[in-house]
This record gives sequence, structure tokens and C-alpha cells, in this order.
Amino acid sequence: MTGGVGMGELQALAPLLVVTGWAALLLLVSALAGGRSLRLGPLALCGLLLALAAVVWDWRLVGAGGQVLFGGLAVSDRFALFLDALLLLAGSLTVLISGAYLDEHGFADDAYFSLLLLAISGMMLLVHATSLVMLLIGLETMSLAIYALVAFWVGKATSAEAALKYFVMGAVASAFLVFGVALIYGVTGATGYRALAEAAAQAAGQPLLLLGMVFVLGALAFKVAIVPLHMWVPDAYEGAPTPVTGLMASAVKAAGFGALLRLLATSFAADGLVYGSTGWLNPCWTLAALTMSLGNLAALRQPSIKRMLAYSSVAHAGYVLLGVIAAGLHPGQLAPVLFYLLSYAAATLGALGVVAWIGRREAERLTFEDWAGLARHHPVVALAMTVFMLSLAGVPPTGGFFAKFYLFRAALRDPQLVTLVVIAVLNSVVSVYYYLRPVVAMYFQDGVAQPQPLARPGVYAMLGLALALVLLLGLLPGVPLDWALHAQLAR
Amino acid sequence: MVPTSQVLGLAALLFCIGLAGVIVRRNLLIVMMSVELMLNAANLALVGFARVRGDLEGQGLAFLIVALAAAEAAVGLAIVVSVFRSRRTVYADEVTLLRR
Repeated sequence: MTGGVGMGELQALAPLLVVTGWAALLLLVSALAGGRSLRLGPLALCGLLLALAAVVWDWRLVGAGGQVLFGGLAVSDRFALFLDALLLLAGSLTVLISGAYLDEHGFADDAYFSLLLLAISGMMLLVHATSLVMLLIGLETMSLAIYALVAFWVGKATSAEAALKYFVMGAVASAFLVFGVALIYGVTGATGYRALAEAAAQAAGQPLLLLGMVFVLGALAFKVAIVPLHMWVPDAYEGAPTPVTGLMASAVKAAGFGALLRLLATSFAADGLVYGSTGWLNPCWTLAALTMSLGNLAALRQPSIKRMLAYSSVAHAGYVLLGVIAAGLHPGQLAPVLFYLLSYAAATLGALGVVAWIGRREAERLTFEDWAGLARHHPVVALAMTVFMLSLAGVPPTGGFFAKFYLFRAALRDPQLVTLVVIAVLNSVVSVYYYLRPVVAMYFQDGVAQPQPLARPGVYAMLGLALALVLLLGLLPGVPLDWALHAQLAR
Repeated sequence: MVPTSQVLGLAALLFCIGLAGVIVRRNLLIVMMSVELMLNAANLALVGFARVRGDLEGQGLAFLIVALAAAEAAVGLAIVVSVFRSRRTVYADEVTLLRR
């Protein structure tokens, strides 16, 4: 960990630096404006697109092998860059819809976009991190910005309450993470993933190391909402401004799983830490089964569409965890998980985009009755919502179907996972029921009043892009799948 | 010289007291203090381990976590103020609009 920072290292980390710098720039601009409302959305979007261009540039630059940065603190490889692109895409869609949403619901945008970019920079650091220190910084940057975004809806009591619940539980999770890092450091003397992999393989049976692992993995599991640690999800997702809910469901989840995948595949990949009585495999198996089942069962009974989507995100975390286990058993098989995260992000952002579209200042319109007869007045948006729902349920020809098919097929190669795949397929079948509830309401029920949704160009652009992405991933999965297949971890 | 096991024992004890505080106490300010206690328990463990190992990485990390705890307290207190403005209470069991 000696020596200066080279130009090449900064180039390899360009996407992260652009987003962080842009967040500071936005903060500066809004500070100089002195309280006037500026509508910083387009400027934020420019920053995200610039970072996306940097990702494309770096994809060639770092090559298939990746580039180790800052003496092993972070890395820039195609796995991280793929997730960067996903995060930036999710961020761009969120920014597109946020402008109109902020205007409509009457909260100022002075720090909103800056916080949004800071959250994304934290997530990017999380997927680039190859040291527990960087993991900690990335996770906290992301979390603190997201807490503030959840609480951003000034004057709405549920927003502050949601942020409070998320914050208290998240702060405890952070404390566990920090204590876990301390324990791992105490046993192995290492915080870098590579050094940790060697030291942990030798100390495999030590109880303090195991406790540290459980704490660190538990904190990440909290962020991606694996079942015993999912209690915050429905409240935080419902109370948050809807664009922020979309960001949490798509980007926070993808970043958390990215960090989890890298940690499990590099540091805790020694046999003694994967299998047997001290391994993470068996507990993860049980947690995946519980997560998808309880998430789906709870989603069945929700009266609010936003809350239903919150529980559906829990269920999807279970499917992704299945992919993570499969990737742990067969190192290098990351593509199904990455493709799944991308397809889920597109569909859930789209669905929450429609939720944001239909809500107006006086009424958020979250119940199924509020959606009755929508197809008659707004056939195109109703059709888009149907596509998003079908994608989440995993029905062809959408991205969700292909992602699920690919994920389950990859998992089926391992005989230990057959039962879990069967549970996952049964869960997908059950989930069709609640995903079709808004569709039935839109097409087959009569509405009392004609809804006056949020008809603004940014909203329609966001919905159109999400729809295009979902259909593209379903009908022409070849190109994104090829990228996912190339998105390998640095050796 | 104090043995490491005692340092670790004290850290674990502080951590558990903090955790118990978060779970049992309803006053949000006490809850936040308890979280700080948990973070500082981890700091104590880090510094203790760093001394045994004779390297500075653990101490550096402890400094980082002090900064992190400050940032967390800032955001947390802002959220508590925001809750207090809308609900006129700092007791967690009176903040129950969600979860019907």
C-alpha cells in the first residue's frame, strides 16, 4: 500500500470519479443559487451519461483481466464495469422521472440530485472494492445518501418515519459490519480480499473468523433484503418518494449483490469456508428458500401496489441469492446473476415509474381500486405496466422470463441445487397471481373517476426507456448476455 | 500489559450493551447513543488487535470509523428532527403510520 496514485489507476476508475465529482458540482451549483429552484435534473443526467461513456471507454482499457488499483484496495474489472453500467442506467432512469415528481409533490430539488449521485458513487465503490475498508466506505456512502433521500419528502410524515426505521436498522447493520471487519482483521491480520483469501483459508475453523464473516455477510444481506433481515423493506419502500423506491429496488440491490458476489468468490472461496459445518453454503440455501417464499406470500396480501412491489423485491432477492450460490459452487458463472439483476432492475424501475406516473399531489393512488379502468383512458401506459408485471413474473417474451430461465438452468447443473430450483419455480408460479392483480384492475374493472396522471415528457421518456429495455432483454438477449458473459472478476 | 482477550471481552460487552439499548429503549436519542456505543466497541476491538499485531492498519481503520460515526450521527439526528417536526415525538413506539 505504498507509492503514489498513477494516472492509469485514475483512468481505470474514471466512471466513479466522474459521478463523485459531478455530485460535488451539483451541490456547489445549488449552493451558489441561494435557495432558488434550479431544476438540476438535466445537469445530473449529463453527469451520469458522461460516466456511462467512461464505462464504455474503460471496458476496453482494463481488458479481460481487469486492473488492480491502489495496492489492492480496489479493482477495475469488467464485472465491476458491467454493474457500473447497470447502476448508471438505473440512476439515469431515476433522474429522468425525478424532475416531474419533485415538481408535482412540491419538494425542493436543491440537494436531491447531488444525494442521488453520491448514493450511486457509493454503490460503484461497493462493486469496485477489494478491501473490507473500501467496502465499508462504499456501503456507508450509499446508505447515508439513501437515508437522506428516503426522508426527502418534507411534510409527509410517512417519509420521515420510513427513513427513521431504515436508518435505525441500517445503523445497527453498519455496526455489525464494522465489528465483523474488526474480528476478521483480528484473526487474519488482513483487510484486503486477496490477503484475506489466503489467511482465511488457513484460519477456516476459527470461531472468531466465522463470527466476523457472519457479521459482514449479514450486513450485506440486510442491504439486499434477505429474509430475516427484510423487515425494513415494506416500510422504507412505501414511505420513500417513488423514484427513490425505484433506485433502492434496482440499484441498491444490484450493488449489494455485486459486493456479496465478489466477497464470496474471492475471499471466502476456500473449501473450508464454503462447504461443511463452517461453510456459508447451507445457511444461504435455507435463506434463499425462505426469502423467495416469504417474500411472495407476503406480497399476495398487500393492499398497496407500492408495498406489493416491495415484497416482490424481497422475493427477487431470493432468486438472485440462488444464482449467487450457484456462482459460489462453480466459480466464474456470474453471467446469470448479472443478467438477472439487469432485467429485474429494468422491470421494477418501470413498474415503480408507472406508480410515480399515476400519483398526483392530492392522491398517491396506490390501491388496486385506484387503478381500475386505467386501460380505457391510458392504453399505452397500461400495456407498459402489463409488460413490466409479466417481466417480474417471468412470462415470455419479456426480459424477466429469459433471466429466470437462464438463472435456473445454470443452477440446475448442480445436483445440490435441484430442490431449491423447484422451490423457486413454484414461487414464480405463485407470484403470477399478485403480479396480475394490477393488470386485472386496469383492464377488467370499471373505474369511478378518470385518473389525471402525471403527464410530463421526462416521465414518458423514462417509461419508454424501461419498456424498451425489458423487451430488448427478452427478445434480443444476445448482446447484453454477451457483455454479462465477459464480465469476469479480476484474478 | 492488558491481554487481548480482555480487550476483546470488553469490546464484546460494550457491543452487546449497545445492541440491547437499540432493542429495548424507545427514545430515539438513546437509540442513537446505543448505535454509537456499538461502533465504538468495534473501534476498541480494532485498536486492541492493532496493538497485538503491531501494525497501524487497525488504528487507521478506527479513525475512519470515528469519521463514519460522525456522518451517521449527522444524518440520523436530521432524520429524528424531521420526525419530531411532523409527529411531535421522539419515542419510536409512537411513530407508527406505516405497517397497517
